[in-house]
Amino acid sequence: MPATDIAIVGFAQTPSEREASASEVQLLVPTIAAALTAANLPRSEIGFTCAGSCDYLTGGPFAFVQNLEAAGAWPPISESHVEMDGAFALYEAWVRLQHGDIDTALVFGSGKSSPSNPAEVWAQQLDPYYLAPLGLDPVSLAGLQARALLDSGKATERDFAEVVANSRRAALDNPNAQLRGTPSIEELLAEPYVRNPLRRHDLPPISDGASAVVLARGDRARELTERPVWIRGFDHRIEAHQPGHRDITESTSTTLAARKAGYDGGPIDVVELSATFSPQELILRNALGLPKSTNVNPSGGALAANPIMSVGLVRIIEAASRISAGTANRALAHATGGQILQQNLVILLEGE
Amino acid sequence: MPDIKPLAKEDLVMEHLVSLTYSEHLTPNLNRFADALLDGRLVGHKCPSCGRVYLPGKGYCPICVIPTGEADEVEVQDRGIVTGFTIVTPVAYYGQTATEPFVFASVLLDGADGTIGGQDIVGVPHDQVHSGMRVRAVWLPKEERTADDITNRGWGGVSGGISAFEATGEPDASFDDFKEHIF
Repeated sequence: MPATDIAIVGFAQTPSEREASASEVQLLVPTIAAALTAANLPRSEIGFTCAGSCDYLTGGPFAFVQNLEAAGAWPPISESHVEMDGAFALYEAWVRLQHGDIDTALVFGSGKSSPSNPAEVWAQQLDPYYLAPLGLDPVSLAGLQARALLDSGKATERDFAEVVANSRRAALDNPNAQLRGTPSIEELLAEPYVRNPLRRHDLPPISDGASAVVLARGDRARELTERPVWIRGFDHRIEAHQPGHRDITESTSTTLAARKAGYDGGPIDVVELSATFSPQELILRNALGLPKSTNVNPSGGALAANPIMSVGLVRIIEAASRISAGTANRALAHATGGQILQQNLVILLEGE
Repeated sequence: MPDIKPLAKEDLVMEHLVSLTYSEHLTPNLNRFADALLDGRLVGHKCPSCGRVYLPGKGYCPICVIPTGEADEVEVQDRGIVTGFTIVTPVAYYGQTATEPFVFASVLLDGADGTIGGQDIVGVPHDQVHSGMRVRAVWLPKEERTADDITNRGWGGVSGGISAFEATGEPDASFDDFKEHIF
C-alpha cells in the first residue's frame, strides 16, 4: 500500500500566454519561488526536486538542465527530470517520498509552445516507420478520434460545442486562462471546420506557461500549512503506441488508473481533466463514469489554456486550490501524454 | 521454390531526415545584450545579492535564484584571460565547414564571473596558446556584426560581434586569478 499521508502544501502557476517574452527558465524562477513561499518552505529544505519539460518543444538538447537553475541547483541537490508533463514529475516525487527518508519535494512543469510549429514537433512522437514520415499532426489525429466518436454514436457535434461553451464560460473566472467568453452553441456550430469534424474552438490554444507544486508528508505537511491537500491515490497507465491498435473512442487506461488510484465512483466535488480537444472531455467523462452533474473543469480546462508540459500539473493545482480554499473536499485530476490520450494519469485529492 | 534475394542494407535502413523550425523574439535582457554587442560593448547582469556578473545576463542569478533586470546591467571588458583551450583538428563530419586546425578557448573576461567558451585565438602560433594568456577581442567591422547567433537557449554569446581573441602581450595572469574558471 502506498503512503497516503503525502500532501500538496504549496503551488503556483504563470498565466497562460500565446507568446511569453520571458524564457522558459525566466518563467520558472518566480513561479517556483511563489510555490515555496506559499508552502513556507525554505529552498534549502527541499528533499527532492523533479521537473517535467520537453527539449523538442524548447528546441534545444539538454534544455531541461537550464530549467534546473530556476530550482537553485547549487549547492548540489537531489533531482530528476521526466520528458513528460509536470504531473508525471509529481508522480515521481510522490514515489520518491514513499521511501520515507525525506519529507518534502518540489515539482515543476514548463513549456513554451510559441517558438515551434506544434504540427512539426509533435509528429516526432509517432513511430518513425509508418506515422511520423506522414507528418501526422496532433490536430489531424484528434480529428480522426472525433470522427470515430461521432461514427460510434457516443457523441454529436453539438456535444463538442457544449464542452467548448462550458470551458469558455468557466474561464471567465480564471485569471490564468487564455480563452474566455460566452459563445452560444449555435454560434459555435456555425463556424467552419479546420479538420472535419473539428472546428477551431475544438482545438486548444498555443500557450506558454509554467507551474510548480510543493509536497510534504505527515506532520511536516500539517506544520507547513493549515489545510494540506492529501494525495489519497495516484496512478498512471499506458496503452499501445500505435493509435490503430486501440479503441480511440474510449480510454481504458484512464478507467484503470482511476480504479488503481482508489476512485470508487463516489461523490466528487470537482474534476479537472486534461482534455486538449473538446471530444476528449466526453471520452474522459465516460472513462471515469462521471454523471452529467459533476463539476468538470471549473478552471476552463486545457481548451482555455494549454501550456504543454505544464497543463497536466495545472489541472492538479486547480483541483488542489479548491480543496485548500475550502470550496471542495474531494477532487480528481487527470493528465495525459502521448498522442490522443495514449497515457493517462489520475490523482485523487482530499482535504483534512 | 521462389528465388529469395538475401537482404541488403537498403532493405533494412530508411532515411528519415527531420527538419524542425523554431522562431521567437529574444527575451528583453538578450535584446539589450544584442544591441550593445552590435554597438561594440559587452553588457552583463550583476546579481544584486552575490555580486556575480554573468555574460550574457540570464535574467536571473542561478546561484541566488533571484531575477535580474535592466537595473542590474553592467559593462564587461572586452579583454581577459585564456583559462582553458583545445586545438581542434577538424575531420569532415556532417556540418563541419572548417578544414584547418583552430583554437577553441574559454576566456574569462575582466569584470565577468564566468567564461565565454569556444573562442578562437589568433595572431600567435597554436603551440604558443596557453592558459593564463592575456587576450583582447578582435571585433568584426560594425557593418558585419550580427545578432543572428544569439538564442534564448543560452548559446550564441559574442560570436556575432567578436571574431576571435588576440594576445595583448601583457604578462600572464596568475593561476589564482582563474583557477575557479577553467571552462
